[in-house]
Amino acid sequence: MENIVTLKNVSKKFKVGDGDFWALKNINLELSKGEFAGLVGPSGSGKTTLLNIIGSLDVPTDGEAIVLGKNISGLSHKESADLRNHYLGFIFQVYNLLPVYTVFENVEFALLLQKIPETERKTRVMEALEWVGLAHLAHTKPSKLSGGEGQRVAIARAMVKRPEILLADEPTANLDAENAHHILKIMEKLNQELKTTFLFSTHDEKVMQYLKRTVRLRDGKIESDHFENNQKL
Amino acid sequence: MIKFLIKGILRDRSRSLLPIIIISLGVFLTVFLTGYLNGIMNDLKEQTAKFDTGHVKVVTKAYLKEINQIPIDLSIIDAESIGNTLNQKYPDYQWVNRIKFGGIVDVPDAVGNSKGQGPAAGFAIDMFDKNQGEIERFNLQNALISGKIPEKSGQVLIGNDFAEKLKLKPGDEITIMGSTMYGSLMLYPFKISGTVKFGMKQLDQGAIIIDLSDAQKMLDMENTVSEILGFSKSGKYDNEDAEMMSDNFNRNYSPKNDEFAPAMVPLKQQNNMSEMIDYSENIAAVFIFIFVMAMSVVLWNTGLLGGIRRYKEIGIRLSLGESKPVIYKNMILEAAIIGVIGSVIGSILGISLAYYLQTVGIDISGMMKNSSLFFSPRVRAEVSPPLFYIGFIPGVVAMVTGTMLSGIGIFKRQTSQLFKELEV
Repeated sequence: MENIVTLKNVSKKFKVGDGDFWALKNINLELSKGEFAGLVGPSGSGKTTLLNIIGSLDVPTDGEAIVLGKNISGLSHKESADLRNHYLGFIFQVYNLLPVYTVFENVEFALLLQKIPETERKTRVMEALEWVGLAHLAHTKPSKLSGGEGQRVAIARAMVKRPEILLADEPTANLDAENAHHILKIMEKLNQELKTTFLFSTHDEKVMQYLKRTVRLRDGKIESDHFENNQKL
Repeated sequence: MIKFLIKGILRDRSRSLLPIIIISLGVFLTVFLTGYLNGIMNDLKEQTAKFDTGHVKVVTKAYLKEINQIPIDLSIIDAESIGNTLNQKYPDYQWVNRIKFGGIVDVPDAVGNSKGQGPAAGFAIDMFDKNQGEIERFNLQNALISGKIPEKSGQVLIGNDFAEKLKLKPGDEITIMGSTMYGSLMLYPFKISGTVKFGMKQLDQGAIIIDLSDAQKMLDMENTVSEILGFSKSGKYDNEDAEMMSDNFNRNYSPKNDEFAPAMVPLKQQNNMSEMIDYSENIAAVFIFIFVMAMSVVLWNTGLLGGIRRYKEIGIRLSLGESKPVIYKNMILEAAIIGVIGSVIGSILGISLAYYLQTVGIDISGMMKNSSLFFSPRVRAEVSPPLFYIGFIPGVVAMVTGTMLSGIGIFKRQTSQLFKELEV
């Protein structure tokens, strides 16, 4: 399978007080299209920093991060935004829907940014809502949704533009077990059907059960990189 | 996208209602006060024009030099010929003859002795030729307190306060004493036809108004007038037009070395009106400037609060791939939409109130009792074409400026912190 993410000796340094803190140290990692992978590790291990770099929200201090053929360090703000707009999807710990818009409009927003015509938008939004089983709540406001439903809308919003990579930061942290499994099953299904690459940042055991690949981080370094059944895609 | 933004604005009341109320109020004040000030300034101009200066005035150059002394000996002695020229060459203006004079009003008793006297400011206007419109110009019908407007020679109107002071009533006889144009003693009997009140101290306490033909006989001014006043037939003073016409007249009909030649002076160059007119023309700009500054600060603050409240939303939009300049541009677009909505509402309210005050006016005669200004006792606003757009300048500019200032924060936002920021 083709590589869509290649990290070569990636390091990331932050200023902390008078000193430096290395959040990532010489990370080498490749992600192939269609992977269902997770960055696992304790707090401060560098999961979110790595997710930021792959998501083009930050740049490495050293090394090279190639995402979908683009060197992240060399991108302008506009190019980074374009990359996120067209090829990357994000799911946050909290579903972060825009409260004044309906479920339909929240999902539609991602397509509006891509200037997709109205008829096509409508079809794709309804399709995305059907993937997550919420088509019947299309005209509901986010305040009327349960936590699980909100996160499903967030998945629909991230998936509606059919991103190459979906980055999820602790997506089940605020959900009960039932909702967490429901969400993960939806994502697993979308991964299989749409061949979207999923990369999680998590320390939730429920998420780990579903991962096909687990990259363990500790103190900014990869401690282990384990494929389910030892099979790399 | 615009439709999407408008939906958001309309649904999020704290994002729309508060700024719209602020903008509407500000625009309402700007529009109304501009209309009100225009009304006052124009009223002052028009009242001054009607009673004293005309939109333009023709006098001899010698008279002009001492115009405050009302030197009738320096009057225009071939009034008919000059009047014909003016009517022929400048038909867009109505030309009227006037004589201003000073004198003593003497009230005789039954046997002819003086029982009271008072100094009078005399106005001689054409009251018998209705086409001249002087009765309307002086608003005599409305100003009449008792009696009637003179219908024949030998009748006089007298200021109501003046009449009360001298215990005069319609039908009483008075004698006007003074000097003729040539300096000889003049005593001329008149019968009071009515008393008038203009709400202006200097007129009510000392004015007498007679017909022009009586004044010419009384002052020995045959075919002579002290002033020829021109009033634009459009009814409004147009300074540019008046100045152009005055230049033209003075170039063609006012030889430089003849000090008794007629000279035309536009309203703006009389009675120190220049500063007042400039002031009236600049006042709206000053208002707008102050309003834009004040409102920008208010809206900057509103924008900052909105920015804090929308911090998460902006974070989501950044993560979805909307670039910072695009978010900034869209926020400015939202601000412009709110500015336009607020400006429309504010303009409608401001114009409505200005129109009401234009129609009804405010009676300030009580405040004008001791005023010596040529000021109407009823203040009216004026709805003019600029009122329809003037509010949009502060309304839209203030909102957009406030948002531009507060929106700069978007560019300082670190995308690398988004996951952390959006966690809570």
